Formats: sequence, structure tokens, C-alpha cells
Amino acid sequence: MDKLSFENHIASRYDEELEQIFSQLMAMGGKVEQQVQLAVKAILDSDSNIAERVIQGDKDVDRMEIRIDEDCVLVIARRQPTASDLRLVISVTRAVADLERIGDEAEKIAKHALELIEHGPLMSGYTVVSQLGVSVTAMLHNALDAFARFDADAAMRTIDEDKQVDQEYKAALSELDTLMASEPALLKQYLNLVWIVRSLERIGDHAKNLCEQIVFVAKGKDIRHQ
Amino acid sequence: MPDMKVNEKHVTVGKQFHDDPRMTMRNVNVFYGEKQAIHDVSIDIGKNEVMAMIGPSGCGKSTFLRSLNRMNDTVEGCRVEGEICMDGESLYNTKLDVVELRARVGMVFQKPNPFPKSIYENVAYGAKIHGLADSRIDLDEIVENSLNKAGLWKEVKDRLHQPGTGLSGGQQQRLCIARAIAVTPEVILMDEPCSALDPIATARIEELIKELSENFTIAIVTHSMQQAARVSDRTAYFHLGQLIEVNPTEQVFTMPEHELTEGYITGRFG
Amino acid sequence: MNNSAENLRRIQKSLKKRYFVERCFLWSGRAAITLGLLAVLVLFVDITSKGYGAFRSTEILLDIHYDADALGIDNLHDEKQLAFADWDVLLKNALREQFPDASGRKERKQLYGLVSNGAGFDLKERLIANPKLLNTSEKVWIIADDDIDTYYKSWLSGDPYAERMSEKQIQWIEVLDEQGAIALKFSKNLFTRGDSREPEQAGIWGAVMGSLFTLAITFCLSFPIGVAAAIYLEEFAPRNRLTDFIEVNINNLAAVPSIIFGLLGLAIFINFFHVPRSAPLVGGLVLTLMTLPTIIITSRAAIKSVPPSIREAALGMGASRHQVVMHHVLPLSMPGMLTGAIIGMAQALGETAPLLMIGMVAFIVDIPQGFTDPATVLPVQIFLWADSPERAFVEKTSAAIMVLLSFLIVMNMTAVWIRKRLERRW
Repeated sequence: MDKLSFENHIASRYDEELEQIFSQLMAMGGKVEQQVQLAVKAILDSDSNIAERVIQGDKDVDRMEIRIDEDCVLVIARRQPTASDLRLVISVTRAVADLERIGDEAEKIAKHALELIEHGPLMSGYTVVSQLGVSVTAMLHNALDAFARFDADAAMRTIDEDKQVDQEYKAALSELDTLMASEPALLKQYLNLVWIVRSLERIGDHAKNLCEQIVFVAKGKDIRHQ
Repeated sequence: MPDMKVNEKHVTVGKQFHDDPRMTMRNVNVFYGEKQAIHDVSIDIGKNEVMAMIGPSGCGKSTFLRSLNRMNDTVEGCRVEGEICMDGESLYNTKLDVVELRARVGMVFQKPNPFPKSIYENVAYGAKIHGLADSRIDLDEIVENSLNKAGLWKEVKDRLHQPGTGLSGGQQQRLCIARAIAVTPEVILMDEPCSALDPIATARIEELIKELSENFTIAIVTHSMQQAARVSDRTAYFHLGQLIEVNPTEQVFTMPEHELTEGYITGRFG
Repeated sequence: MNNSAENLRRIQKSLKKRYFVERCFLWSGRAAITLGLLAVLVLFVDITSKGYGAFRSTEILLDIHYDADALGIDNLHDEKQLAFADWDVLLKNALREQFPDASGRKERKQLYGLVSNGAGFDLKERLIANPKLLNTSEKVWIIADDDIDTYYKSWLSGDPYAERMSEKQIQWIEVLDEQGAIALKFSKNLFTRGDSREPEQAGIWGAVMGSLFTLAITFCLSFPIGVAAAIYLEEFAPRNRLTDFIEVNINNLAAVPSIIFGLLGLAIFINFFHVPRSAPLVGGLVLTLMTLPTIIITSRAAIKSVPPSIREAALGMGASRHQVVMHHVLPLSMPGMLTGAIIGMAQALGETAPLLMIGMVAFIVDIPQGFTDPATVLPVQIFLWADSPERAFVEKTSAAIMVLLSFLIVMNMTAVWIRKRLERRW
């Protein structure tokens, strides 16, 4: 069962309902991806406007989560989905939770960015953020892409990317460690950066969870915690 | 869209055999005159297992079920080929008497069909015709036990001698189950036992099936996939007279092996 | 595609016509039923108005002297003496005493003609029942002759029919009427006697008994045979050309004119098996042949109406086919079978034609005592009386029809009662 579609149900409304849930999920994914990109941009550009926009944008993400969850509950109540349909609906509810957490992390990054801007920008340390940001946004993008196509192979490859993100995260932490030791006066600002790096790493983990859901939908295998 | 055609040399996918079988069916073919209703079905039903048989109308699941206690014998022009064994004894090829067989393989039908006699007479009927009770006291005991097992005793104990047809649909069906288990069969066949009942009565019967599976082997044909999912240990999917897939129920309803099964249970057949 | 307003307009246009057709249908149905009821009503009124008179007969009060010398007997236990005695002499003496004015042979004959020919035998029975009456007198109501009966009834209703009456007889009746010595009494003869050439002596009891004996034979033979055949055909027989052929023939037999069965009975039962002619036995056999198809067809319908789910349930419990039939199918279809049988019996009760062929149309005075005694049946009796020239038989015929109809009504009501009683819901 590699090929997946929502079509050809005897009840065509069922097709539409699943289609709608899925397209909402994709929209939410797009929105969350944008949130992460903007949050990273807010730090790198020290732009408090962008940061404010991200914080505002998280409310949209929350609304989308609730909306999709409601639709999933309705489909379960109305259609009692089985087999691939069941896996799809269940994975969507899980994926929505992960996306919402990613949104939250993006909001946190934006808040720390605002604090950084308030305390006055740092001279160094941004490179680690920018590097990790690129990796994580790429990973998130790949995960959503794989979801759109239910591509289990792509999802597996994306899961592998998480190891690299983890390595980059550790490297970033140790570099920030050295910077903090050398400039104890800026400890507060560097701590902000630590939190930001930590959030990016969490986003990578959530992207990995998304990929695991893709494998669950496509292959029926639960590969979490393995 | 799954390919709806079934190739001639079909092989059943999944786990159709059982380590500790009560009934074993091998290469069973059933014909109605010229028309073949069942094609080469091999499957085991394990001891104390609830086996659900699902599939679209006319897929042969009821026909197959009815050949397990030779109810098809009453249909003119019906012919069963292959081997159907119960505890290693062949149903069709040896001298196993059909009366004995039906005492060992009870049946519950789609429409509740109590005899137009009293509740007591209904339950006692099997014991009477098979001579299972030596005395009235024995018979009373059989009736009470069976009604108890069917979860009907409390509801009817004060009106045992009123007609069984005066009960509600769900009670009637439980009465039929009590009637079937009164002769302590090894296997109970159920042919869409809840299709004429409301959801509450259905829930009661489903509950009962689960309880009965402690003592009996149960094969149930059902149109309700949710019901199959709720009550059965394994599920067999029939399509155009062929057995497509047999697998543990939890697998069939989350990750079926065959695309025809997938198509049927997700509601994708026209 | 029509829009909805246009459709609505068309629907409204057609409504009037539709309701009109519906009303026409309703009224034609009502008219048909009214017509049917009217026909039945006319029949009943006609028959009752003609026949009610037959339930009462004219009787004349005479002072009878049981004169042993006149009778020529001295011992009431001597059968021979009783048989040879001239019982009419008692009547003649009494009449002469009552009307001494009758003179001459002709007038005497007219005087004796006031009472029934058979009235002497009634006196004989009276005397035998009560021997103490010998040589004493008593007032006795003597049954009148049929012509007197007809005249008196028509005279009472104000439109005297005097065709067969003499002047003298009319005078005598007026005298008797003034004395209160002539009256209408309940006609015991009608319900206790067999047929007779004398209308006032004729009764239907012989025909009733004949009908009962015949029907008993018919029921005892046709019900078990019919039910057994129906059960075999419905439950056990394989579906093949032979059973199809049998089925077609049973249906055909139900439509065979009944007189053919009479011919069959004559040829086989009487000429070949030498069953006594005119007996209820042979009548029952012939009517059995005639009612069998009806009973088989209704019994099969009753068996078919037993839901297959009951059979399945019993088979599923391990009952043999025989047990299924005996425990379930037969009890459930019994009301239908009995109803069918009773309708068949009612048909047989009203049947005349086949019985004519086997000699049940003979003139039989004695009341049959068993299945092999010569007998006739109610419809044949009606046929015979309708054919008789005496005017008094007209009302007898109608009375017999009333009796036959009441038998049929009772039988049909029994059928309804049995159905109501035994019918079960499932």
C-alpha cells in the first residue's frame, strides 16, 4: 500500500472531508514553516517588527490546530474510518500537535529575539544560530514535502537529517559556552541564544515526529521510539 | 481504485491457519447447480476463537457459513466439495450424522426466529429432541443455565411459560442463542445475528458473543465491519466466492494486507 | 427540463381527474357490494317468506275413542293384531261424531279427507306408548291433510286458496275454527321424519342424517389423505417433472365438474367394488374425491405460509425433517388446513350432481341408521321436493333450503372460530 489517496470512497463527501483535512494540514504546515523562517530572520536581522509578527502569527497556528482537530473528530464520529483512512486521520491529529509545538517554539524564538534586541545586539554568536536555522528549516521543509506526497522513503531520509541537526546543536552549545566564559557580562544575552538554539533543536525533533507519521500512514508501521 | 477482478488462481493472503483448530476447511468449493458460489477456500477456525466473516453481499460468506453445519443440504442443487473437518472428523465424507453435527454446531440466524411456543419450550426443544434431559428437573436446569448464559434469565424468569414471540427483537435473538447453547455445541455459527436489531440490542448481543467465546468457538457473518472489529479475534474477507484475506482483526482494520480488503473496509467499492 | 412552478401547475391540473377516477372506483366498488347484498337479501326474504309456514302445520282437535272392538284387537302385545288393525276407523268414527251432517259416500270421503292419511299410525303409536288408553276417550290434535293445511294457512292470511277444496270441507273448517278445534302447531314431523309422498308427513330428518353420515365419511377420508398429500408435496417431494405434473393435475381436478366424480363413483365404487348403492358410504367416497383437491390446495397454502425461518431454526437445532413437520409445520398450519377442510365440507354438503349418479336421489322414507343404509342428503331432498307436484311441497322446499343454509352458516362460523382460536402470530 504505497499509493495513497482519499478518493474513490462510495460516499464522495467522505473523499471531500479527508481532502479538506489534509489540505488544512498542508496549509498549517506552510504557515508553521514560515513562522520558523521569520523567527530566525528576526534574530539574524535584529528586527523587532518581524519578531512581533511571529508572536502574533502563532495565534493563527493555534486556531488552525483546533480547527483541524475538530474536523478529525468529526470524521471519526461520522465515518468510523478504517485501515488507510484511519491511519491518515490519526496521523493528522498527531502531526497537528507536532506542528503546533513547532509554532510554539517559533514564538519562543521570537520572544528571545525581542529580549536580545532590547538588551542590545551581540557582536558574535549569530553564526551558530544561522547555521542551525538553515538546517532545521530545511528539515522541516523536507518533512512537509514528504507528507504532501506520503513519501515514506523521503521521510526516512529526513529522519536521518535529525542526527546532523543534533550534532550542530551540540557544537552550537559548546561554542556558546566558550563565548559566555569569555564575556560573562553578556551572560543574559548569550542565555537568550542558548534558548533559541534549544528551540531550533526541538523543532528538528518535531519534524522528525512528522516523518514518523508519514511512515505510519504509508506503511502502517509505528517507528516511534526506535 | 483497487482492481476488482479476481484472478482464477487466487491465493489467500494472511494467517488463514491456526495452531489449535476446532474446524479445518481445505479447498472447499460450493456449487448451486451450475453456479459456483465458493472457490477453493481453505481456513481454520481455532478453539474458542471468534472468527468474523465479512465481504460484500453475494460474496459467499453466508453460503460458506451454512456449509459448516450442512444447512446447505436443505437447498436443492447445492453441492459441497473439498474437506470440512471438525476435531479432525470430516463432515461430508464420513458417516457423521447430520443430526449429531447440528447438535455440535449450533446456528443463530439473521432474523430472530423463536418457535411460536413458550420461552421454556424454546430453550428446552433441543434437549428434548436429542434426549439430553433424564427428568423434568434436569430440563429445568438446562433451561435456566442456558438462559443465564445468554443473559436473559433475569428478564424472563417470571414468564417462562409465555410465548417467546412476545419478547423484544433483541430478547428474541438472545432466546435463540440460549436455544442454541442449550445443547452445548462446540461451535456456534451466527449469520448476521444483529442485522434486525437496534444498536442497544446489538451491543448486548456483542457483549454476549465475547462472553460466550470463553466456552464456545464462534463463527460470525456480519455486514457491519465495526461489529467484526469489535467482537472477533480474526477476520476473514470474502470476495466473489473467494477467501481473499484472513488476519487478526486488529491488523485487518488498521493495515490490511490485500488491496481488496482495504477497498472494502474503507468503503471504496461501487 | 420543466421548472418547478410549471410542474406544480401540471400536477394541480391532473389532481381533479385523479380524484374523480378514484371516486368512480370507490363508488363502483360500493355499488357492486350493494348489489351483492341486495341479491342475498332478496334470496333470504323470498325463501323465508315461502318457507316459514312449513315449520307449523295445521292440526284438528278430535275426540278419539280407542274402541277395541272397532279396531278388532284384544291384546296390545300382539304384533300381528296391531299390524292388521284398521287404525283409520278411530278417526273416521271421531269425524262422523263431530260432523253428523255428512251423508253419502262422497261427503263421507270428503270428511275423512280432512285429516292426514298417516294420522291413524300416529294414534297407533300413542296407544302403544300408553296402553291404558284402550277403550277410553281423549282429545287429540290430529294432523290435517296437506290440502286442508294449504287452505287453512291461506284462509288465515285472508287470501283463501280453495282449488282442491269442496264446499262442504270449507264449511267444516269454518265450524272447526269457530270451535277452536283447528290450529297451527309446531310441525314435529318436519324435524323427525323421513321423506313421504304426503307433504304433511314428509320431514327432512332422514336427509339430515344422510348428510351427516356422508359428511362424516368425507371428512374422515379427505382430511387425513389431503393433509398427508399436501405435506408430502410441500415438505418432502423433490421438485421434478413428476411432482410438477401431479401439481398441475390437482389444480385441474379442483375445476372438474362434480357430476364427473359421480360417474367415476358409479363406475368404480358401485359397479366394480359393489359398494351398496344410495348409501352414505358411497356418497362419502365420491364427495371425498371431489373435496380432496380443495383440501390439498388449501393445506399446501397453509403449509407455505409457515415462515421458512421456523423450519430453519428447527433444522439448525438438529431436528429431523419429520420432527420439523410434526413439531412445527403441522401445528402452525393446522388452523389453515382446518379452515380449508371445513370450506371443502361445506362445498360437499351442498353438492347434488354427483350424488344423483350414485342413486342417492331415491325416494327413501326410513331414517338411515348407518353408513350402508339407503339415504338421501339435504340438497337432493330439496331437489326432490322442488320436483313434487303438491302445492304444500313449495313451502317444504323453502324450509329445507333454510335448514341447509343454516347448516352452511354454522359450518362457516366454525371455520372462522377455529381460525381465530388457533391462529398464532409469529
